[in-house]
Amino acid sequence: MYADMNNDPAVETEDGRLEPKLKRTGRMTLYVRRFMRRPSAVVGLVLLIVLAFFAIFGKYLTHWTYEELDFLSLGTPPDGDHLMGTTSGGSDLYAMVVRGLGRSMSIGILSSLATTVIAALVGTAIAFFEGWFEKVGMWLLDMLLVVPSFLLIAMIVRSASGTAGWLWLTLGLTAFGWIGYARTLRTLTMSLRELDYVRAAKFMGVGSLRIIVRHLIPNLGSVLIINTVLGVVSAISSETSLSFLGLGIKAPDTSLGTLLNEGQSVIVTAPWVIIFPSLVLIALTFSMQLIGDGLRDAIDPYSKSAGKAE
Amino acid sequence: MIKYILKRLANYVVMLFVAVSMTYFLASAFMNPRSNYMSRHPAPPEASINRSLDNANINDQTPVILRYLRWLKGVVTKWDWGLAPDQSPVGSAVATRISASVQLVTIGTILSIVIGVAIGVYTAIRQYKWQDRTLNAIATFFLVVPTAVLGLFVVFGAIWLNNATGTRLFYVTGLHSYGGSNPWGYVVDFLQHIILPTIVLTIPGVVGYHLTQRTYLLDTMNADYVRTARAKGLTLNQAIRKHALRTSLIPTCVNVAFSIAGVFTGAVITETVFAINGLGRYFVTTINNNDINGAVCIAAFGGACTLGGALLADIASAWLDPRIRLG
Repeated sequence: MYADMNNDPAVETEDGRLEPKLKRTGRMTLYVRRFMRRPSAVVGLVLLIVLAFFAIFGKYLTHWTYEELDFLSLGTPPDGDHLMGTTSGGSDLYAMVVRGLGRSMSIGILSSLATTVIAALVGTAIAFFEGWFEKVGMWLLDMLLVVPSFLLIAMIVRSASGTAGWLWLTLGLTAFGWIGYARTLRTLTMSLRELDYVRAAKFMGVGSLRIIVRHLIPNLGSVLIINTVLGVVSAISSETSLSFLGLGIKAPDTSLGTLLNEGQSVIVTAPWVIIFPSLVLIALTFSMQLIGDGLRDAIDPYSKSAGKAE
Repeated sequence: MIKYILKRLANYVVMLFVAVSMTYFLASAFMNPRSNYMSRHPAPPEASINRSLDNANINDQTPVILRYLRWLKGVVTKWDWGLAPDQSPVGSAVATRISASVQLVTIGTILSIVIGVAIGVYTAIRQYKWQDRTLNAIATFFLVVPTAVLGLFVVFGAIWLNNATGTRLFYVTGLHSYGGSNPWGYVVDFLQHIILPTIVLTIPGVVGYHLTQRTYLLDTMNADYVRTARAKGLTLNQAIRKHALRTSLIPTCVNVAFSIAGVFTGAVITETVFAINGLGRYFVTTINNNDINGAVCIAAFGGACTLGGALLADIASAWLDPRIRLG
């Protein structure tokens, strides 16, 4: 797989002038081709699409809803009526997994996107303004990293409950998730701020915000895209951890972590309550990880994981 | 060197102070101890609620700045971290739980570093061979398994094994249950308890160190000075051991130092799954009881661990990295 990276047809065609017979390949086409060449990345993408369909349309496969309790079957194993069995409280596990998957996915994706936006703006701004601004900014970032963010998120989310709880959780994950990431981006920007056209723009009197948005952030594009995808994995992990501890999503709403929490007490008597959410959760994080790794190889020209030309 | 360390230390103390103060205000804003009393039947009279809240210095009718100054005075002058809503002192509650956390986390951390770095070096030397690919695939898998899932499956497996063998090989709750006086019995009992949580703590740690150490070593293995060492006639193993490995250990050392606090938060899940009465589990209790002082005390402890780790990282990289010269 790695050996044929060298006679990469896309790379050759990119240099269209040397071989005029070939059509020039656009950048997006190139990325897509490189991504699709990796079997694991395609598997990840297919898995994610299947999961997304499951989360959106899965509820039409059963007549139970996640809020409905079936008092005639408490803690029953999977059968024709309850596709994944029921919890000890009588909820249909299938309906809950569908709902929980949707919740975990939306929390993960939303907070990862928001985290990237904030981290990109703050990280580049700190590096761009240099001088005392950079010193103070870095000190503040370090200071915010002192207290483990997990504790702070738990504090904030705890007071929120009901149906808006998941928005609070997203907010909490975002509010304390961007800090370490902003530090990394600042390090990357330190070399970008010395680029000639960035300096030229600065001396021509282009506004700082415009330079940051037009010149600096697009340069970090590949890093941002990859980290947004991988950030979903860590956001979902945090979400499930908090919900598992009973500090995140609470009933009547449900998420994969909440289901794990329910399954913990009946691990011996009703193992299906823990097995199905776990499998779905692993499939979700695994697919995002595979996609992220695939994107890294496709987009990042400096990526080492693409293999060496030898 | 001493001057450098003192300077960093002073900076970290200020940082810790600001961070803990921020946590105090956040906790006061978001946690509502009064609600503990509201759910009681019959509801206690307003005056008695206020009295017990005032006594613990967590009454939301007192301005937060006043509460903060009182709390700060207690911490600075008497090392008194305040009272929980049920009037029990927070400081001693944290102190008793530190030992359980330390027992749990120390073994896990040491094992993850040793195994993780070893696998990282092993796979880096065999880049793209089947050993590397297999171990990498396993690592990618464990990288994405959330701790809660991992913990619950380990419990599941242990119970199954206990049932299959008919003897109690592993305990899935607590750290100690042996009541006798035989020291050997005590050790065996401790091992039976600690092995499962240690597995749960070690696997993610190993994966992390494996992947990062592999990357770092691959980076330095292609460096010019390693090629020079090879050209001078050293074997590949010698060149890696004497030249590449040392440089590649610098970032790992920094990670190790910072992991002290990370392991602490990671252990929240493990402690909950295995019902170990450590700091992580206490933290969940404080949040559920709206215990502002308790939560702040744990945050302060976590912050002190982070900065202690950062200081260690500073010293370790200064010691390992020949490019860093201290004034």
